[in-house]
Amino acid sequence: MLFYVLKRIIYICCILVVMSMLVFAITQILPGNVARMILGQFATEESIRAIEEKLRLNDPLVVQYWRWASSLLSGDLGESLIMEHPIAPLLSTALKRSAILAFMSFFFVTVVGIGLGVVAALKQNRPTDHAVSIFTYLGISVPEFFWGIVVIIFLARYIDWLPSSGYEPLSAGFWNWLSHLILPVATLTFALIAHVSRLTRSCMLETLRSPYVTAARAKGLPERVVLVRHALRNALLPTITILAVDLGWLFGGVVVVETVFAFPGLGRLLMFSIERHDLPLMQVSLLLITAVYSLSNLVADLLYTYFNPKIRYERSAD
Amino acid sequence: MKMRRSFFGLTVSLAIVLGLSLSAYAGEALRVGITSTIDNLDPAKMKAGDAYVYAFRVFNGLIYINWDMTVKPDLAERWEISDDFKTWTFYLRKGVKFHHGRELDAEDVEVTVKRILDKATGCKLRANFQIIEKIEVVDKYTIRFKLNIPYAGFAELFGGRQAMIVPRDRIDTLATKPIGTGPFKFKSSMPGDRMELVKNQDYFVEGAPLLDGVTLIIIPEPAARVTALESGEIDLLWRVPEEGIEHLKKNPDIVVDEVPTPGWVGVVMHNKIPPFDNVKVRQAINLAIDRDQMVELAVFGHGAPTHSPIPPSHPFFNKSLSLKPDLAKAKKLLAEAGYPNGFEVTMFVAHDRPNEERTGITTREMLKPLGIKVNIQRAPWDKFLSDIEGKEAFYTDAFSARPTIDTSLYPWYHSSGSWNKSLWHYSNPEVDRLLDLARQTKSFEERQKIYREFQNVVFQDPPSLMAFVHNHTNAWRKWVKGPHAHPMMWIDLRGCMMSK
Repeated sequence: MLFYVLKRIIYICCILVVMSMLVFAITQILPGNVARMILGQFATEESIRAIEEKLRLNDPLVVQYWRWASSLLSGDLGESLIMEHPIAPLLSTALKRSAILAFMSFFFVTVVGIGLGVVAALKQNRPTDHAVSIFTYLGISVPEFFWGIVVIIFLARYIDWLPSSGYEPLSAGFWNWLSHLILPVATLTFALIAHVSRLTRSCMLETLRSPYVTAARAKGLPERVVLVRHALRNALLPTITILAVDLGWLFGGVVVVETVFAFPGLGRLLMFSIERHDLPLMQVSLLLITAVYSLSNLVADLLYTYFNPKIRYERSAD
Repeated sequence: MKMRRSFFGLTVSLAIVLGLSLSAYAGEALRVGITSTIDNLDPAKMKAGDAYVYAFRVFNGLIYINWDMTVKPDLAERWEISDDFKTWTFYLRKGVKFHHGRELDAEDVEVTVKRILDKATGCKLRANFQIIEKIEVVDKYTIRFKLNIPYAGFAELFGGRQAMIVPRDRIDTLATKPIGTGPFKFKSSMPGDRMELVKNQDYFVEGAPLLDGVTLIIIPEPAARVTALESGEIDLLWRVPEEGIEHLKKNPDIVVDEVPTPGWVGVVMHNKIPPFDNVKVRQAINLAIDRDQMVELAVFGHGAPTHSPIPPSHPFFNKSLSLKPDLAKAKKLLAEAGYPNGFEVTMFVAHDRPNEERTGITTREMLKPLGIKVNIQRAPWDKFLSDIEGKEAFYTDAFSARPTIDTSLYPWYHSSGSWNKSLWHYSNPEVDRLLDLARQTKSFEERQKIYREFQNVVFQDPPSLMAFVHNHTNAWRKWVKGPHAHPMMWIDLRGCMMSK
């Protein structure tokens, strides 16, 4: 088991190295020019050359990559070109905020998604089942920026219950902090819930038809025990995989929701860097998102063993 | 069904929390909604309008351009001009302290200007300041500039913007810990979130500022920005999105304040690339545009039709020139130019600039009757800057207001102008003569005459299509008293206070 984890971590490192090369290469061939973005519309050829020289943008790509990668390894994330501000504190604050948003949404996607999936399976083809599937399909098929604006208009503008946007730190009061999270978390949850509930429903139906559930029922076990201990536990395996992907997406892909709700997280920072052509900031943010994705997949694989004792990550099983 | 019970419990507790009121804000900092993260806190490197909302709180220029566009003293209490407009002497206010406690002196001004002139700084005022031949620090409170041309509008160049005076001993940390002389001190900034400014107790204007602080809150989504003002999460919204203006005007708790600006939106035509090298084609396009309708369609009526960046509200505007379309004449001109059946052309439009996108689409429709078929191609902003602006033949563009008529016209119309040389390569000796003459003329009536004549000339020989100037709108809660919208889109908060 330990060997397996180590091996996976080495894989992740390899992925990160390859990603760092890719990210670096892609950011070099993007249209646009760093010096021009720094100078804006007023750039003259002369001043562009002066800035390029100052930032050493004319060195060969390999030299530039090596300079960047080696300083990354020594723990120096560099400085944002546009803001002229060290990247590390910017990124860590944004990551913390995104993590709050991601984990909260993840929690609700898991709890509500699995809950709805189980209910739908138990009430198969009855009105509840149809209601659940219509509700979840609405969430997945209409893009989240639409729901974001809908909830802003109804809950913030007309009913005036919740703040429409922004983020308040916990130090500004618990309710203040929480109130700024409710709308973005609800929007994200709604967007993701269909994956989880649909999958849970179909796996649950399949397990409920399997002989061992019939056997458990025949033994006279209470229905609750049959459902939770026997059926659900097995039905959840594929759901976990989906949840792992969702967690990665919640970290890196919430650009839209963060923009709609003016939530100052990782997605917004990434957008800022792309719009301003701030290469160092863009490169480090992309790498960080890759790392989160890989790690959440590792966690999912480990959870697998917990739920399914048949899979054991031993040397022999590779 | 443990899970279901805990979910139910959570719902109930959420509902209870929701019932509580939201009035958790205390303190008297004015919360201002802006659109995006301020790129760089160093005033010399500012580019967009949002940055000015911050910079005018923290820094001062030598002079201040008031919201009525008159020039007022700021860090310089007075200035003297030689008869040939080539020597300018500024006398600094005494006893002005930077936020780190040191007194402002003439050397700070010298360092500020030298930085602007340094190519490596990348300051957008560099082109304007290149008329400076020599800087001389006369004494601690006096600085003299010798210019290489006579220039009557030199003082206006110091009206803040990128020429805010910075402390020479804190240059390296301007981007992280900006220090100025302004009414508010920089406290903290979180990109994507907010910037906090607190009252400067030692501000050189007695009794100012009236507010204890200013917090700039970044809200990128236009609908969310309008909602934040309506629900009272912000006190003041800078630059209300055009589509939200009418809606906010209906709200009795909100004041909407709109001013015309010299910022224009238009379509650039490269004067060296056919068919736009023919003045008749440029004239025909100008005559085909119904400017009144374009203002309605592109900025929902929040603008004013014009021929040049001189807005109709300005005393120099030439009212005798017709703003009405004349399709028959346009067709005739196009036929004379050799395009009786029109032509096909690609127009580039930058992404995420709704006013320019709408201007582009309106232009396409209005050129159809001439047989000109416009294919619109959208491009991301960074690509627009690097590959399209200044290179392609036909694209929409927009420029924000400049503080004087000279700085709004000269770079675009004079054959040596920096924008002219990068956008449309226009050359008209009469225009050059008039623009140079206006720079050396002090009397208001004389300048008015010259600029009206200038409008006559460019009406006959337009470099491109300048369709309209847009308005600038701010809105605030009734409990905010005394802010003033500024034609330069700098919000003026000098007399601003709150009474909730």
